[in-house]
Amino acid sequence: MALTAEIYQAFEDVVGQRNISQDKGVLESYRCITSQSSAHYGPFDHKTPLPQAVIMPGSTEEVQKIIKLCNKYKIQFKASTTFWSAMGFIGSENAIQLDMRRMKGIEIDEKNMIAVVEPYAIGAVVQVEAMKVGLNCNIPGVGCSSSVVASTAGWVGFGPTSISMGVAGENMLGAEWVLPDGEVLRTGSLGAGAGWFNGEGPGPSTRSVLRGFQGTTGTMGVCTKVAIRLHPWPGPTCIPTRGQTPAYKASLPDNFKCYTLCYPSWEAWAKGAAMLHEAEIVYLGHRQFNMFGRDIKAAMLRILNDPNGQLADLEPLLQDPELKKQNELMKMDIQVVLAGMTARDIAYKEKVLDRILELCGGWKSEMMLEKDMQDYVLLYLLRLGHKNLNYTLCGSYEGNYGLSSNVFVATAVIEEASELKDKWAKTHTTIADTGGDSDMGSLSIIGGGGAMGWEFFVNFDAYDKASIQGTNDFIDETQKWMTSKGLGVDMGRWNQDIRRKDGLNFTQEEHDAMYVNAAQPLVFAYQWKVREAVNPNHLGGSYYRTLTPSKIGLA
Amino acid sequence: MNATLNQLAGIVGQAGVSTTPESLAAYASDSSFATPMKPAAVVKVQSAEQVEALVKWANQTQTPLVPVSSGAPHYKGDTVAEMPGSVIVDLSGMKKILNINRQQRMAVVEPGVTYGELQAALAKEGMCLSMPLAPRATKSVAASVLDLEPRLNALHQWNYTEPLRCTEVTWGDGNRMFTGEAGAGPRDLEKQWAAQKWQVSPTGPNMLDFYRLLTASQGTMGIVTWVSLRCELLPQVERTYLVPAAKLEDVNEFAYKTLRVRFSDGLFVMNGAALASLMGGNAEEVKTLKAELPTYVAVVNVVGRELLPEERVQAQEQDIAEIAQACGLQLLPSVPGLRAEQVRAKAFEPSQVPFWKETAKGAFQDIFFTTTLNRTPEFIEAVQKQAIAAGYPVEDIGVYIQPINMGVGCHCEFTLPYNAACAKESARAKKLFVDISETISSMGAYFSRPHGIWARLQLNKDAQSTIALKKVKGIFDPNGILNPGKLSV
Ligand SMILES: Cc1cc2nc3c(=O)[nH]c(=O)nc-3n(C[C@H](O)[C@H](O)[C@H](O)COP(=O)(O)OP(=O)(O)OC[C@H]3O[C@@H](n4cnc5c(N)ncnc54)[C@H](O)[C@@H]3O)c2cc1C
Ligand SMILES: Cc1cc2nc3c(=O)[nH]c(=O)nc-3n(C[C@H](O)[C@H](O)[C@H](O)COP(=O)(O)OP(=O)(O)OC[C@H]3O[C@@H](n4cnc5c(N)ncnc54)[C@H](O)[C@@H]3O)c2cc1C
Repeated sequence: MALTAEIYQAFEDVVGQRNISQDKGVLESYRCITSQSSAHYGPFDHKTPLPQAVIMPGSTEEVQKIIKLCNKYKIQFKASTTFWSAMGFIGSENAIQLDMRRMKGIEIDEKNMIAVVEPYAIGAVVQVEAMKVGLNCNIPGVGCSSSVVASTAGWVGFGPTSISMGVAGENMLGAEWVLPDGEVLRTGSLGAGAGWFNGEGPGPSTRSVLRGFQGTTGTMGVCTKVAIRLHPWPGPTCIPTRGQTPAYKASLPDNFKCYTLCYPSWEAWAKGAAMLHEAEIVYLGHRQFNMFGRDIKAAMLRILNDPNGQLADLEPLLQDPELKKQNELMKMDIQVVLAGMTARDIAYKEKVLDRILELCGGWKSEMMLEKDMQDYVLLYLLRLGHKNLNYTLCGSYEGNYGLSSNVFVATAVIEEASELKDKWAKTHTTIADTGGDSDMGSLSIIGGGGAMGWEFFVNFDAYDKASIQGTNDFIDETQKWMTSKGLGVDMGRWNQDIRRKDGLNFTQEEHDAMYVNAAQPLVFAYQWKVREAVNPNHLGGSYYRTLTPSKIGLA
Repeated sequence: MNATLNQLAGIVGQAGVSTTPESLAAYASDSSFATPMKPAAVVKVQSAEQVEALVKWANQTQTPLVPVSSGAPHYKGDTVAEMPGSVIVDLSGMKKILNINRQQRMAVVEPGVTYGELQAALAKEGMCLSMPLAPRATKSVAASVLDLEPRLNALHQWNYTEPLRCTEVTWGDGNRMFTGEAGAGPRDLEKQWAAQKWQVSPTGPNMLDFYRLLTASQGTMGIVTWVSLRCELLPQVERTYLVPAAKLEDVNEFAYKTLRVRFSDGLFVMNGAALASLMGGNAEEVKTLKAELPTYVAVVNVVGRELLPEERVQAQEQDIAEIAQACGLQLLPSVPGLRAEQVRAKAFEPSQVPFWKETAKGAFQDIFFTTTLNRTPEFIEAVQKQAIAAGYPVEDIGVYIQPINMGVGCHCEFTLPYNAACAKESARAKKLFVDISETISSMGAYFSRPHGIWARLQLNKDAQSTIALKKVKGIFDPNGILNPGKLSV
């Protein structure tokens, strides 16, 4: 259903000829294959529909005009910015895709630790600007080349620094938002012209409509600017680096320390994690390199630190007895960064860390104490600029299990989960065999500690049908295990309810059938009501989860 | 009327319904300038089931409900009905501490639990809850966190809404649910606890932030029957310091620099008048202290909790002293007339009776809003000018500046003490309150918690937010039965 010439012209009149396209080649590049994106829902080989046009607005005013036209002609729309997600693509054949890359402004209020950013201000650039004035921002696990606004408006947004800085939603201050009906909402103090510092109120916060636990995945209009809270950066105005690509290393002063903490058991690990939550000494905490798999992580780190290293070096490295020993010692590990605000502060934090290790019977990995290794990991984690490595093993991955909850609950079942994965990898060739435990993720998905944000990496080949099928079968099996343990939905299936296997939106009837049996269906009935109030023409697609109220006897 | 009372008695039992002149009078007015209005009845509820039944009944009968959780005295006008025939829903009898979990540092409490009660119970488990500045003894913890009363320690606010996490709410339409993480599981706390779920994360549970519709809502959206709270480990070592300053700009600079590096566990600024009324036991003492105290004082608390507590305090106190020095100030254990430890004992604990703000002159009126620290001097100047013009004694005006949300903003509060027994003084204070509110609003003071006349001032500035708010209200309280008249233009 192509746009009529008249409608296309109306859009073109808003953004100009250079910023709109109907070219088949361009449109094709805005279709998503989920295997290239950590989307947690499979089936990994379908494509989203072809948009009717791709439009790149350059201002809030242009966005507003586009949305008004969409309402006039009843065309669905979705804004995306850095396109790492599978949620950012349309789910209807009558839809346009907004690409927000022209809006990339950043303004920093150093004194009050606030950055006001437009969608295409990516984490890397916001961080660079913030560091110039001694500040830093939370970069979610998706990495520094993703949009700060996208994580704040669209998805969850936790990462290694969330323990000390909070997740995207916690950092969200005032926001400027073009609602699905084309009106512009400015939340909190911003709407009153009092600045960006407070995103709440007046009275009840209308920002509730813009994001809850997660953002609204582009279904509730377009966020054009958001103010985020920045955090202290006790380092130089830019991170000095040395070394050769891809193994750059950070050369930071002594008040930064980077350790891989190791524990003798998961009980000890959990105790240590809880103490780290409570002690408020870590700047950053992430179990990162285990994503390569328990059996091969030390070897992978060696390869990555060698400018000439290649995956082909893996086999010989795995035979190296010293490396084997080091690998074994960091079986149950986590990376942490301490950042001392002063000399006294770092001395105190180091002491507490040592005390925690002592109390839990833990140790610091020796291999990871090598200067170059420490500095590599430091840059990796502070910057999160190596997301390509998520894909190195087989070209694609999905996160599964997702035991993102209470530290003590998750760690109690982690070996069993690992065994299940190991068994599957050994008996099926469809997912990479990296040694069972490939669990990775953030020390906390909430500021100050609480639940962890974990996932097992399942590496597969997106260009191999059998591998795709095998990954799906594997996740079906782990879901069964999760269900039997009362652990909820497997992360590989988290988003299955928001777009159909054919890439199109679910119908309301289909959604009703899913949510009527939710633990508290009222949640989805209210979301239905909110959608009716804010998005009367249903132009956002089915990523917004709704239940027709009458299905549970409500008016 | 009798039929109504019978219906109410059917819901909460005969003993729960009261229409005696004394009980109605107790809720007919408060210590603010809100217009008095006698309610039709006072209903004391004991459970969420009763609340749900009551709200359903109110929808059928179009009866306005005014939820109240704290005990008297009330100061903000938000618990005085604005509609005739209103029924007061008194939740102060729901006093159960439902759960305390040391492992997750969480507590779940009913609305009637006060700070004193909760802190005592938490201390037994080695924990405490972050405090707002010396709340009155009868203040409900749930009501306090729902109204986003600023906390003394901005650095434990990973969110403006800390330490509030999950809730159980009956919305204005009579539907009851759990919000936040708790909303994703069965609506049964026992079952959630059995599954090791401790109501930790406040957001969602899905794409809508339900709990943020309850914050600062003055009971207009739903009635909350429990809240979960993020607690802290009990300090093992605790030291407090005072940083006196002649100029607010200096002390602000000190606050910026200290919070910027995440030092301190509680930091706020007061002028001499505010500090004197916090510390003075009676009017005379307040007067004497006020004369003695510095123009501004920053109060800085440093604690050590479980691991190496003394080391933490020692490292921070030295660093903070250096920050003070860099601002041309001093970190001191006392100032003439006052030791820092005494201030801590008052500021971080519930107030004695009478409430400390009443000590100076009996009555008082607060004006509070949010802004950023760097803007506070201009607001103070404007308030002082206005007071002078009105013939109000400027030196009596209390100033309390509380950094919030890790320091990106601050709560700025002016307290105008007056003698309520003197009609002239009362009238002057009332007029000054209105005039100051209007002036600072026009300067960009943000009334994020818009009590009383501030709702009009604030909502009139932002048509889109007001429209959005009305839409949301229409969903959760379609018949407008919850505290009607509040938060409207
Ligand atoms: C390798 C990888 C690792 C990941 N790790 C994590 C992790 O650790 N933690 C985590 O929280 N997430 C993680 N994710 C998911 C990630 O956070 C989301 O993909 C996130 O939204 C990042 O931005 P993006 O580039 O994907 O944005 P986009 O794909 O551009 O957008 C994401 C969503 O936001 C919406 N959106 C974008 N711009 C706007 C706008 N201007 N207004 C309104 N809506 C908008 C889109 O419609 C879409 O639904 C990961 C993803 C990948 C690919
Ligand atoms: C899902 C996915 C799909 C891919 N598809 C393809 C493909 O089709 N074709 C292809 O060739 N490759 C593809 N790749 C590989 C991907 O393009 C490379 O990982 C990426 O291009 C590496 O280039 P980069 O240097 O821009 O990486 P980045 O990850 O963007 O950054 C590399 C370094 O530069 C820094 N940096 C990044 N941006 C900035 C900035 N604006 N300012 C300052 N510093 C910055 C980072 O911190 C980091 O240190 C894909 C990768 C993924 C994860």
